[in-house]
Amino acid sequence: MNYLALTGSPWQRAAGESSAQPADWCSARTLAPRITAWRIWLSSQAEGRWLLFQTDPMEFTAALLALWESGRSAVLPGDNKPATLRRLSSMVDGIIPPYPPQVPVQAPLSQPPNGQQCAIPAPLPLQAQREAVVLYTSGSTGEPVMQPKRFQQLEDELDQHAKLWPLEGCAVVSQVSHQHIYGLLTGILHPLCHGVPFSARDSRYPETLAERLMDAQKAGLAAVVVSSPAQLSRLPEHLHWPAITRRVFSSGAPLSEADALRSEQLLQAPVIEIYGSTETGGVAWRRQQQSACWTAFPCVDWRIDQGKLQVRSTFLEHPEHWWLQSDRAASQEDGFHLLGRADRVAKVGGKRISLTQIENCLSLLEDIHAARCLPLAERDGRLAIVVAMEPESIPRDHETRRSLVERLRNILGDELDNVAIPRYWRFVEMLPVNSQGKHDNALLSRCFADLDDDRQPRWLGEVSNCAGNVVIHLEVPSRLRYLAGHFPRFPLVPGVVLVQWAIELATEHFGELGTFCAVERVKFQKILRPGLRFSLHLERRDDGIAFHYDSHHGRHASGRVVFTQDATHD
Amino acid sequence: MMSETQQLSLDLKRMIIDTLELEDITPDDIDEDAPLFGEGLGLDSIDALELGLALQKRYGVKLDAEAEDTRRHFASLAALRALVEAHRDV
Repeated sequence: MNYLALTGSPWQRAAGESSAQPADWCSARTLAPRITAWRIWLSSQAEGRWLLFQTDPMEFTAALLALWESGRSAVLPGDNKPATLRRLSSMVDGIIPPYPPQVPVQAPLSQPPNGQQCAIPAPLPLQAQREAVVLYTSGSTGEPVMQPKRFQQLEDELDQHAKLWPLEGCAVVSQVSHQHIYGLLTGILHPLCHGVPFSARDSRYPETLAERLMDAQKAGLAAVVVSSPAQLSRLPEHLHWPAITRRVFSSGAPLSEADALRSEQLLQAPVIEIYGSTETGGVAWRRQQQSACWTAFPCVDWRIDQGKLQVRSTFLEHPEHWWLQSDRAASQEDGFHLLGRADRVAKVGGKRISLTQIENCLSLLEDIHAARCLPLAERDGRLAIVVAMEPESIPRDHETRRSLVERLRNILGDELDNVAIPRYWRFVEMLPVNSQGKHDNALLSRCFADLDDDRQPRWLGEVSNCAGNVVIHLEVPSRLRYLAGHFPRFPLVPGVVLVQWAIELATEHFGELGTFCAVERVKFQKILRPGLRFSLHLERRDDGIAFHYDSHHGRHASGRVVFTQDATHD
Repeated sequence: MMSETQQLSLDLKRMIIDTLELEDITPDDIDEDAPLFGEGLGLDSIDALELGLALQKRYGVKLDAEAEDTRRHFASLAALRALVEAHRDV
């Protein structure tokens, strides 16, 4: 079927719909009774803005279109966390329930309840300059941002998609949330405008995607897949991927080149990445098999100012103004390269997460002084957090640490999506600062160095009161390589490892110590078990170093290591 | 001696901890019947994808297509163990 612009209410055209449609998919025909059910229910409700959170694509679309056809707009939160709903409830005129009350889910069109059919007002045409949706996303200040979109903005962007990537003869399978601009446009509105079917059920898992592709194949249709880096980078090779995919879209974060190429191979289709944001809509696209450089949409102007990207387009709320993106960029060839974010927002699993929001949320707690959150590039961008607490509140062993982390996770869980909850936690007396007294990312990262090297103790800060002396705060990571050696059911740190750590950390502090000569007066008094927090005291001596290990249990070990100075031998 | 069931439970717990790089969680900390996702262990949507891959790699278990059904197996450690056992019996 031909493309029809959004304000032409393309879902209302019923005639000529292709019979080739997989069962249980969304199309104008299957949506019509659900839209009617919602319109019946809405006819007795307040006007204005309605909050819509619905994970089921079919029910979401029906409710959205009913809101639009009755002159209302939809506020689309990214999640339905209690804190999100609390925050938004005062800004909306109503909340869409999971299903229209009083109307049975399978209500046949010909028999609406209570004979209300005549009472429903006729569908209103969509007016280009009216508000269609309000999107809700993380802002860099920590406060969520509400971003309204007029029908005209959505329509302009859909027109652009239609020109670049027409959907004739396709079915669309979306793996991403329609509560966000990319999923809404690409996964739902674009197929509606083209009159092609789209999957009516959640398809976020690869097994479901594979089955939907087979559905499309049986119906003689090609498929367009709407996906994200989190999903494409984890596509299993053992599934059967029918060779009917015409195009794969990915958005939310850049896809690695290796994942882009691998996805193209598995799905046997070009992988098109779309770069954009809630505020700007789509900005540019690329296919990494051809180039790593981003090509702006034809109607998008861009420039780079002080290393950051600026955008002007009709997809923006104020099309005539330059919009400052928070992404660093460099121009190249006919487009630009993206160099990472310039603000304190991270993307985890394609979701925009304000690091400041997480930090503020924890800092409100009585026993927490401050917190600093950072994404770990080596761990797929998963979040890590360093939390500064009163010394007596800092966990001292596995159990107290675990219960503290659980408590903090639960507090954040009220406000944040699970992927936004930091995975790696470090507790310190003071956030590490550099010699200028500034927060130092290198020092913060050091708190997580044990993740990359399972031979190290976990470093949590250090204090040096006079030259030749240092106290280093440490923890025994539960994944420490040496734990397994001694007793299978009783992991502990072997004494030789304690001596090794003392030498390594002393070398780091005091410089090269010379050639190892002997270990003297070594005492191993108490064992160190996984999760134990402890301190290492190092003292520089003329002939080497002295060390001792302490924890809340008392002294664990002490001794001296003697080195000879052999600088003259070389 | 551990029973076969206990051994499989322990292996699965280790698989979860290793695959997802869970810190400071030992096999003993994972309750057989507590939810793995949301509250409980607190796993998320990315973890669900990772676990799907790990199950195939380690046990040859292929999840089926019904999304709800598929991830029902991830409801708890006990449910996950039942899935692997059922696969072994085939």
